[in-house]
Amino acid sequence: MAIINQATKELQVKIVYYGPAMGGKTTNLVQVHDHVQTQAGNKGKLVSLATSSDRTLFFDFLPIEAMTIKGFKTKFQLYTVPGQVIYNTTRQLVLRGVDGIVFVADSQYEKMPENVESFQNLVDNLTSLKLNIADIPYILQYNKRDLPNAAPVEYMEYLLNNNEVQVPSFSATAHKCDGVFEALNMITRMLLQKFINQGASQQA
Amino acid sequence: MANLPQLLKKDVQRLDGALRDFIGQTDATAALIIDKGGFLITHQGDSSQFDVTTIGALASGAFMANQTIAALVNEPNFNSVYQQGEKSSMLVVNVDEHCLLIVIFSASIGVGIVKYYATATIKRIAHQLALARGRNPEGGLDLSALNVADSESIFKKKK
Repeated sequence: MAIINQATKELQVKIVYYGPAMGGKTTNLVQVHDHVQTQAGNKGKLVSLATSSDRTLFFDFLPIEAMTIKGFKTKFQLYTVPGQVIYNTTRQLVLRGVDGIVFVADSQYEKMPENVESFQNLVDNLTSLKLNIADIPYILQYNKRDLPNAAPVEYMEYLLNNNEVQVPSFSATAHKCDGVFEALNMITRMLLQKFINQGASQQA
Repeated sequence: MANLPQLLKKDVQRLDGALRDFIGQTDATAALIIDKGGFLITHQGDSSQFDVTTIGALASGAFMANQTIAALVNEPNFNSVYQQGEKSSMLVVNVDEHCLLIVIFSASIGVGIVKYYATATIKRIAHQLALARGRNPEGGLDLSALNVADSESIFKKKK
């Protein structure tokens, strides 16, 4: 849950990149870190808790200060989860306090079962935290579109975005930074819109 | 903004006061209050030498991992994590369901005194946080000034 600190005039928001192993979650954060335009001091270090073979062990973490709204600094904390199946407990820990989710799916045909399994795992882990995915802004990013064995976007939509309410989805080639900022900006926009709606419902 | 926990200036002043008193009692280097989701709420002491945002994220992860281990060994609660170093030590203590207290202190200071004074400090912190949660602040954060349709204005990519 986002925190508003009226004393320091800060709004803190947590976004988690979720998805199957080797799907490109860490690559998204690396690209954001390398390419985001920020004022000096507004971008923190990218912290990776990884194994010796660069597989995410616990999480990656990137704090960024994005903008000031009516005097409030908006601080975004971007996390990834470890994709490997054995680290499910760790994924639950990282999801605690989540405000928005970018689900990074691997477009390769043979990865479709893993995509579906990972998405169901996300739903289950949110449920274990007494959260409902329908209440949390999330988007889908179909990564690795540059690979020759990429499945059609329509097929991935059928597999992953076939609910009553469809969420925004983006094609991406994260290692080239294609689709990375589009996804981040969309989830940010959805989060801020949610906060505005909450404010409006309180005033009503 | 009814669903968002909000800390008013007086909340943070009282939290900071509790941390300053604690640092005075223990001679700790720095003390931080963080949310278990990894958010830094406030901090006091000589923290200019530390990246407190990252420390908050990592410490919450470490603490929560230990909580999970506690469950696996049928321990109802590991309520603190202590790391002793050569120059600096760190203690992470549970405040309430949502928050943690992180204390960074010289390795020459015994952890006993830190734990002793932390007990009273945690009560003060928990009390203030409970007041903040129970309140329904009238002054929310009005984000309506932001044109969210212009998503490009949020994160821009370097040319």
